[in-house]
Amino acid sequence: MPAPKSTRFLAACAAAFALLLLACLAIGAAPPEATMGVVQKIFYFHVPSAWLLMLSALVSAGGSLAYLFRGSERGDRVALAAAELGVLFGLCVLVSGPLWAKAAWGAYWQWEARLTSSLLLWLMMVAYLLARRYGGPAARRLAAALALFAAVDIPLVYFSVRFFRSIHPQTTVVSTLGPGMRGAFWLSLAAFTGLWFVLLSVRLAAEKAQAEIVELEILLEQAEEEKS
Amino acid sequence: MTGNFLRHTLLVAGKDLRIEGRSREVLYTMAFSAALVVLVFSFALSNAADPAQGPIVAAGVLWAATLLTGTVALGRVLDRERENEAIRALLLSPVPRSAIYAGKLIAVFLLMLAVEVAVVVLVSVLFSTEVFAHPGYLALVLMLGTLGFAATGVVFSAALLRSRSRDALLGALLFPIVIPALLAASRATACMFDPLAPDLQPVLFWLRFLFATDVVYIALGLWLFEPVVCGD
Amino acid sequence: MTQVALAYGFIWLAVFGYVFLVGRRLARLQAELDDLRRRIERQKP
Repeated sequence: MPAPKSTRFLAACAAAFALLLLACLAIGAAPPEATMGVVQKIFYFHVPSAWLLMLSALVSAGGSLAYLFRGSERGDRVALAAAELGVLFGLCVLVSGPLWAKAAWGAYWQWEARLTSSLLLWLMMVAYLLARRYGGPAARRLAAALALFAAVDIPLVYFSVRFFRSIHPQTTVVSTLGPGMRGAFWLSLAAFTGLWFVLLSVRLAAEKAQAEIVELEILLEQAEEEKS
Repeated sequence: MTGNFLRHTLLVAGKDLRIEGRSREVLYTMAFSAALVVLVFSFALSNAADPAQGPIVAAGVLWAATLLTGTVALGRVLDRERENEAIRALLLSPVPRSAIYAGKLIAVFLLMLAVEVAVVVLVSVLFSTEVFAHPGYLALVLMLGTLGFAATGVVFSAALLRSRSRDALLGALLFPIVIPALLAASRATACMFDPLAPDLQPVLFWLRFLFATDVVYIALGLWLFEPVVCGD
Repeated sequence: MTQVALAYGFIWLAVFGYVFLVGRRLARLQAELDDLRRRIERQKP
């Protein structure tokens, strides 16, 4: 007999957090950056969060596509779960970024292409959740359209540092990391991505349970009616 | 096939504009509220009269007023379809759904442009800016910016047709999506309003950016309108 | 240094908080589901 779902999820969550803890140790052991010093360490959590924000938006758009054009209920659930994770990791990007910027640029926020486009992508994910919740009868299709429009913003976030004159570090910075930093960075990225997948599957299980509950409630009502 | 699409598009747009031409309800309320938005900004910013910032402020007010009143136009043009369930008749008619989208888009676009002309004049008076220094570029940026806004707006406004909290939601959903277009439009406008600007290179850059976003938004709108509005 | 601590602290807290909320929700839904299944079982003759 397989272990109950909640136990398996607990184990998966614990594994992901252990990996994250390991990444933290590696980050602590990594040498400080020459010009910025300790503040540069924010980078190890900031970049994976940003990557997950983009991944969430992309997966949400993919799920929405499957829902809109194929009527896939699973696609709809994936889109919702991914959008929620997008809001979570977007928040992490938007908090860790300014904390780094305060030390590096002297100001928490600059109106600059990458910051603006990331903020917008996050706002669209929030809008997705709002639409899901309060959008009325067409809420799910409306939200799906929103996710697809939001997908347009993903390349804008990624390429913004190249298209516009920008003070945000370039994407190529990753390949110029020192040997001690590279390992910590990739480990952190792997831990974050693993955590993302675990969270997505937990969130999907919750959504599925919700759908099943609705089904069973109808069934129960029918059974009670038949009896009486 | 394309001729048919065009004919249907013009039919839908013509219907909306004819209704509007009779009552002028949307046009007048929009123009009035746009004027109020400009006035509110002019009162709120009256003390911040740094002449160097003038063009930026004027461009910002112009586009803020456009966006805020554009939401009104979107609401009203599609509300007409809700009355007497006209939308059902429209969707049941043999008109292709993308033609309904394109028709609505043209109607909203023209209404907003008409109001923008008044807003531009008002901004030039209240913010004493060289608004008509580059009339060709101004017309182009107004058209491209409005097109991008209307292209997304029609999709969401139509999808929210039966929702109770529609007025509150429309802005909340629409603004994050159209802000890139708004940003490009107001940057371009600020540059062409500025008599001290060294050249119009930024204007060209932002116009190209606007054009690209418009193409993407309209393509998405044509593609998504049917499944979003007509599903189940 | 404070900034690093703040950034890491915030992200840990946010992720933990989310895991906690989703976990609790899943447990609640699972309980509700079990309850419904039992009730349906009882309805059957």
